[in-house]
Amino acid sequence: MNIKNIAIVLTVLVVAIAAMLFMQKGNYVTQATEHYNKTTGNSFKGSSKIIEYVNSTAGTTKMLWALTCDAVQGAKTSQDMAKLEGKYFPATKGSNSISQKTRRFEPTAAYYIVTTFDKVDVDKKTDLKTLAGLKSIDVGALLGNATIAAAVAEDEDGEEEGEE
Amino acid sequence: MNNQKFKILAIVDAVLIVVLIVVMMILKGNYNDQAQASVKEQVGAYQEKANGMLQEQWKSMDQYGMAWKLVYATLTGDKSEASFDAAVKAIEGDKDARLKQLSYMYTAAGIPDKVQNDINEKGGLADKFLLKDEGGVKEVACGKNCTLSFTFVKGKLKDSDYKALVEYNMDEAFKLEAPAAFHFE
Repeated sequence: MNIKNIAIVLTVLVVAIAAMLFMQKGNYVTQATEHYNKTTGNSFKGSSKIIEYVNSTAGTTKMLWALTCDAVQGAKTSQDMAKLEGKYFPATKGSNSISQKTRRFEPTAAYYIVTTFDKVDVDKKTDLKTLAGLKSIDVGALLGNATIAAAVAEDEDGEEEGEE
Repeated sequence: MNNQKFKILAIVDAVLIVVLIVVMMILKGNYNDQAQASVKEQVGAYQEKANGMLQEQWKSMDQYGMAWKLVYATLTGDKSEASFDAAVKAIEGDKDARLKQLSYMYTAAGIPDKVQNDINEKGGLADKFLLKDEGGVKEVACGKNCTLSFTFVKGKLKDSDYKALVEYNMDEAFKLEAPAAFHFE
């Protein structure tokens, strides 16, 4: 190989190495961007889910607290409770336990309230039994004094009669 | 071009190649270090932001839970200022009950215990509950950008407005922004 060919090959090599030099930064930026996108993307996804789920659950408790606070300020009968339940949770209905004189309203498995009444009223015409004389409302679940798994598995016992 | 000139060109090329390779090796190390540092810094900043939001939400939900508890206690109690003050003190002071109420909510939301513990360890419960107590007007925190007001006249509750709690929009208060694009200088 004569000197002319060597010079040409070396010149081509110089150009190639110079090009590689300029591309080098781009490669690192690409790699770094990929790593950054993946890591922050996972962080964004995970944290957003937590925020969303907690917001949603807090929204449920908000409605249930509001219902409870309305109830203690004016509700007297199980019908009154049914009206309030319909106002805050149109898709969910509570159920009376006539034997225990209680009404349980459970919009989710974890969150429920149990209202205790004084007496059972019986409609003479229809023989429909309702509860009257609201005594207290058990907000244990709203205060965290319940077991979620138990709440899911728990079955209503006693006689139950639907409202309305 | 004669052989002499090609010879000079070949020598210059050879020198240039050596110089370029040296520069490339130096820059390679620099770029690598810079890229790693830059990624670490920007990822860290975003994770700090995301964790900060989770901790802020945790504290706010603590205040939110306390506020509802206080409203309920006020509505079902004797509505005296003394009872209200006692309720505020009892609710704020009972950290076990606060944590229980908060943890129950997070568990109901499907958040694992490990994640809850992590948020609590890093951020802790809310530092403040009673924000104002002047001339019978008492304000309590009910979450981020949420305040409840209770007015007492001659020791009796005159007005309790918990509308802010009912209208509290969590989705507006807690929304994590997507990460900004990576930038490398």
